[in-house]
Amino acid sequence: MTEGQGEREGAQRAREPLRVLVAEADEAHAREQTGGVLDLEGPLRRLGHDVTLEIHRDQGAALTALRGNHADLVVLDQALGEGFWRCLEAAREAAAPALAVVRDDDEAFALEAYRAGAADCVRLGEDFADLLPIAAFEQLRRLTHIQQRGEAARLGKTVDELRRYNQHIIQNMNSALVVVDPSARISYANPTAERLLGGEPGELMGSPLRRWFPSLEDDEILPLRTLADGAPYRGAEMVVARVDGRLIPIGMSCAPLIDGAGAREGVVAIFQDLTEIKQLERQVLQTEKMASIGQLAAGVAHEINNPMGFVHANLGQLSEYLDDLGKVWDRLEGLRAAAGSERIDADEVRRAAAELEAVIQEVDAGFLLRDFGTAIRESLEGSERIRSIVRDLRAFSYQDTGERVPTDVNRALDSTANIVWTMMKHSVVLTKQYDELPPISCHPVQLQQVFMNLLVNAYQAIEARAESEETLRGEIKLRTALEGDEVVIQVADNGTGIAPDVMKRIFDPFFTTKEVGVGMGLGLSTSFNLVEQLGGSLQVDSEVGRGSSFEVRLSLDPEDRVPARRAR
Amino acid sequence: MSELPVILLVDDERHILSALQRILRREGYELLTAASAGRAQEVLAERKVDLIVSDQKMPGTHGIDFFAELQRAGRRTPRVLLTGWPEEIPQRELDEAGVTALLPKPWDDAELKATLRRCLGLAEA
Ligand SMILES: Nc1ncnc2c1ncn2[C@@H]1O[C@H](COP(=O)(O)OP(=O)(O)O)[C@@H](O)[C@H]1O
Ligand SMILES: [Mg+2]
Repeated sequence: MTEGQGEREGAQRAREPLRVLVAEADEAHAREQTGGVLDLEGPLRRLGHDVTLEIHRDQGAALTALRGNHADLVVLDQALGEGFWRCLEAAREAAAPALAVVRDDDEAFALEAYRAGAADCVRLGEDFADLLPIAAFEQLRRLTHIQQRGEAARLGKTVDELRRYNQHIIQNMNSALVVVDPSARISYANPTAERLLGGEPGELMGSPLRRWFPSLEDDEILPLRTLADGAPYRGAEMVVARVDGRLIPIGMSCAPLIDGAGAREGVVAIFQDLTEIKQLERQVLQTEKMASIGQLAAGVAHEINNPMGFVHANLGQLSEYLDDLGKVWDRLEGLRAAAGSERIDADEVRRAAAELEAVIQEVDAGFLLRDFGTAIRESLEGSERIRSIVRDLRAFSYQDTGERVPTDVNRALDSTANIVWTMMKHSVVLTKQYDELPPISCHPVQLQQVFMNLLVNAYQAIEARAESEETLRGEIKLRTALEGDEVVIQVADNGTGIAPDVMKRIFDPFFTTKEVGVGMGLGLSTSFNLVEQLGGSLQVDSEVGRGSSFEVRLSLDPEDRVPARRAR
Repeated sequence: MSELPVILLVDDERHILSALQRILRREGYELLTAASAGRAQEVLAERKVDLIVSDQKMPGTHGIDFFAELQRAGRRTPRVLLTGWPEEIPQRELDEAGVTALLPKPWDDAELKATLRRCLGLAEA
């Protein structure tokens, strides 16, 4: 054996493989998610480390592995359920840092995981593929940092390389990333952040974070909150001002930056430009509105067609009546001339009177005079009906100014219900029970869109049930009420009801159980978003074979509360 | 004097019935009215009717279904369907319901009168 070989072997021994243990609930899921971790193998090998990646789907096996051999990093999925907590406990006992993979929207779970000792939480959002390796690196970096303090000289180079690799990811990721130092200034911004904010390279560096959020209060600027309380925040929408002054919507997550010794060094924030997403959202909203309006148009046209039909027919008849009464008038003139001449000729007067009498009989003048009034009354009723349909339609299609205005919820519901009712009046009884309500600050058009979606769904559910139950008496009950600080709007139907497996998905975009052309599957998801934007909630209660009840809750403006509250 | 032809007008909209009666007032028919398919069946059970004119969209039984019922029951009375959306009803359904003629809603008075005369086998006025 040569000296060279001996050296290599010595080095090899020092490069213990890093064991990364992944515990996952479902295999396909696991493969998809651990793609990021698998990427660690290459770079770590370059550093002289091998990564052995163990994926466990069985929590028993995961626990045994955790307790048996030392793991350098443990990745645990929330979907493990109870197993998550047991594995986390085992990881803690084994002093192995644990990364929790948390559902995107489950902040509470993430907080609990932190509390139970998770080293970091990675949410399963769009960024997951970026975030997981970063989080894993961070943990491994700390690990190597701690492990190697004693042998810093020898391993200095490797730590450096690992840093450079980290840097590479951060420089090239699709999300903007900034680091904020404890004095609330930006101490690092990746190129995506510079592009997004429109600054020259380096321009962001050292600038106070507040400068970028002129429209927000301190406690609305997430990184400042994290700086203050050390807690991570995720997925909040904020408005950032670019260098050119343009305001753009962003979605931001941030976490405290902690050094190897556990002290806070500042905050790292990741964010994306939401401009395009917002535009898409608006388009979807418009499309959905158009689709529902298409469904309504036929009903409205039918509703206008009937009164239009008889008003038009009556006008034709009235004009004939007028002609006939004109004939009577002519004979009357004749009689007047005969009776009013200087020398009255009795025969002529008698003849004129007989002619008058004949034409009165011929045209049935008595009937004409009576029916003239009836026809006019019915026509007025018809035109009044058309007028009120147009008025409701106008209220309905009112251009949204994008501003919140004090809105009469009962009126918004009623005009929408009247319009939608035109298409279902043949099969549905509509009952209304409106409580007296104070105005709510919101976008009336959006509120009407929500009501329309709920009403159309209710109608369609009744129609679907009526197909198999001919005797069904369709019923939609509308109710509004003031409950404490909230306005409650209920739309209840006695349609098909919603099966539990469908229920789980009704708020998903594009989920529909209806035929192509009938349902787009966007009604409830857009409604949910609209109500959420108004700071309210949308809930459902349903039973198959009995019907469903959707409930919108909106809170009152603080100023409205006291004066508007009704005596109880 | 021979009896006047009897026409049964069926529509859930009262004012439509009354407008039709106005128009046909002097056409030399006896006019009967019914507000639904069910009421129309009752009239048919009691009276000899020469022509039925029915609205399509009505609560309960639609016009076309009412006509199809008559057809299944072997009744051959000529029948006219009044509808705002004539193109929505497939030809096959019209045939199966024995529809003699379609009239649009809103209608043209002269066309309405001519169609009814034709369906009754009367000479043009
Ligand atoms: N009132 C209701 N009764 C029964 N099922 C409903 C009701 N409202 C919604 N659903 C169910 O939720 C699904 C999604 O509704 P929605 O988002 O409005 O889309 P769409 O109506 O286009 O299908 C519907 O396809 C239906 O299965
Ligand atoms: Mg819908």
